Amino acid sequence: MPGRATQGSMDSQAEGALPAPPRIGALAALRTARRRGPFSRLSGSRKQQLAGWLFLTPAIAYVLFAFATPIVYNVALSFEHDSLSTIGSISAPWAGISNYTAMFHDPIAQSAIVHTLVFTVGSLAGQFIIGLSLALLFSTQFPGRTVARSLVIVPWLVPLIVTGVMFRFMFQQEGGAVNQILVGTGLIHNPVDWLGTTNYALLTVTIANIWLGVPFFTLLLYSALQEVPAEVKEAAMIDGANPWQRLRLVTIPMILPVIEITVLLGFVFTVKVFDLVIGMTGGGPANATQLISTWSYALGFQQFNFGEAAALNNVLLVAALVCSPLYLLLSRDQLRRSSGTGR
Amino acid sequence: MSTHQKKTALRWLRTLVAFTAVAIMLFPIYSIIVASFESTLTLFSTQFHFFPYHPTLDNYRTVVLGTQSGPAAAVTASGSQLGHVLTSLEIALGTTLLTLVISVPAAYALAKYRMRTTIFFIGALLLAQIVPSIVLATSLFAILLKVHLSNTLPGVIIADGTYAVPFGILVLRAFLFSLPNELMHSARVDGASEWQTFRMIVIPLARSAIITVAVFAFLAGWGDFIFALTTLNGASFEPITLGIYSFLGNYQANWGAVMAAGVVALVPAGVLLVIAQRYIATGLTAGAVKG
Repeated sequence: MPGRATQGSMDSQAEGALPAPPRIGALAALRTARRRGPFSRLSGSRKQQLAGWLFLTPAIAYVLFAFATPIVYNVALSFEHDSLSTIGSISAPWAGISNYTAMFHDPIAQSAIVHTLVFTVGSLAGQFIIGLSLALLFSTQFPGRTVARSLVIVPWLVPLIVTGVMFRFMFQQEGGAVNQILVGTGLIHNPVDWLGTTNYALLTVTIANIWLGVPFFTLLLYSALQEVPAEVKEAAMIDGANPWQRLRLVTIPMILPVIEITVLLGFVFTVKVFDLVIGMTGGGPANATQLISTWSYALGFQQFNFGEAAALNNVLLVAALVCSPLYLLLSRDQLRRSSGTGR
Repeated sequence: MSTHQKKTALRWLRTLVAFTAVAIMLFPIYSIIVASFESTLTLFSTQFHFFPYHPTLDNYRTVVLGTQSGPAAAVTASGSQLGHVLTSLEIALGTTLLTLVISVPAAYALAKYRMRTTIFFIGALLLAQIVPSIVLATSLFAILLKVHLSNTLPGVIIADGTYAVPFGILVLRAFLFSLPNELMHSARVDGASEWQTFRMIVIPLARSAIITVAVFAFLAGWGDFIFALTTLNGASFEPITLGIYSFLGNYQANWGAVMAAGVVALVPAGVLLVIAQRYIATGLTAGAVKG
């Protein structure tokens, strides 16, 4: 078997740990390279170049089929008059910008854009505050810390449609746990129709989404907090900073890079929320919880107005991609490393 | 109270706060588990019972056997969720397989082969993660229709791969990047081909990262709703997420069945949480911090 020495050194490693580079192999590599001379090195690297492309081929084919084509096709759709009968054919009547004008004059599409904005900002604020609080709590010492921390990620594992069902059930006006607790503790006098009234429905859906995102925020911020050196916190304590000052002036600035990328990813997750709202309200009552994603679905798959759906999709895509320069900037470490080949 | 006692009290106070937070986070899940054992009559009363009131397995019977359509009619399998569970498993496993087959070699190429286009690919994958599923769903519906893959299992699996493939490549690449190049060099020197190096050196070393990606892809395929809804709109089979949605459509009669089906949909997540918790936590953080 080739690379026996290497294999042996690997077996002794715990999984996930990095094996020490086998020196013998490396030296041999150097020696061979020298012996073979420049020409055979060239042909070797060309062979490797080819192998690299072959390893990439399935991914390139997939990204072209499942990402590039749909995005381009979506742009094409938004300039066509499409119906259920033409969606399966190659060409459809040209529509110019009429889908876009129709979409921007559509009061439901307008309100869906506003709802998406409110829903996203509200969710991110709630997820960040609760996530950071829990992360700070988990960074302190207390009995049962590990168990509590691992249980917090459970909501993330629930299929989104099930989350929608759970919250629809809990926020029922009658027989719902939330109203029962609130009335029971005297916080409200009469049960609220959380999902049935236009005033409360968007708030309720936002609460459900906050629940959904808290595990992600907690875990990421927690792992960032672990990186803050204890000496820094101690130094601030010796300088007489109170806990709030320590948080605001020391801890948060130190974990800011992670906060940025977490909020950004949270934004990306939140603008595309679909299942949760479909499960909870289906966009109702009276379109009060209609988001860009759910209204686009209704336009395309229920009214078969694929052109306007595609136009609205492009608005959503632009909204999601607006943050992409920022995202690439924050991922610059990964991009910078991409010029090399690792150690 | 001495300082020591104060410190101990503070610690237990934290425990109290932490577990209150955990209880609030887990309560929605608890509530549907309890509700799944209630009778439809109880579920329609104006009272929510925090503990099972008159526990019954009726809802699970509905989920397993389907709904009885009239007193004289035989039990029909139409409402049974067993087939849906099977479909969900097929979709989840298919998504996992597709994701691994595409992302492991691609991640290796992007981590260990010097190519001028690498930075372009990484950028494209980072952007691909941003694209909202509904944007892809509308056109994928049309594209799959054109290539005769709509209403088929491969069609929905290809669509579900969009959740996991970019994530998988980026996470695996970050992991493979940190492996020493000497491992591959020495294998080549020993006469291994590029493929043998990949299969016998890279894959075994990347095992833990591969499991993380596999768990993630499985959960994505299992929990997918939007692509099942849009690409399987005339299929003879549907996953459990769609089954729950159809129960929900006429929930006046089926609130209990919705709950039981929801609990069934939670099972794989629960099993994975127990056996692969480490990989799940890694997966949650890997995409953002390292990737």
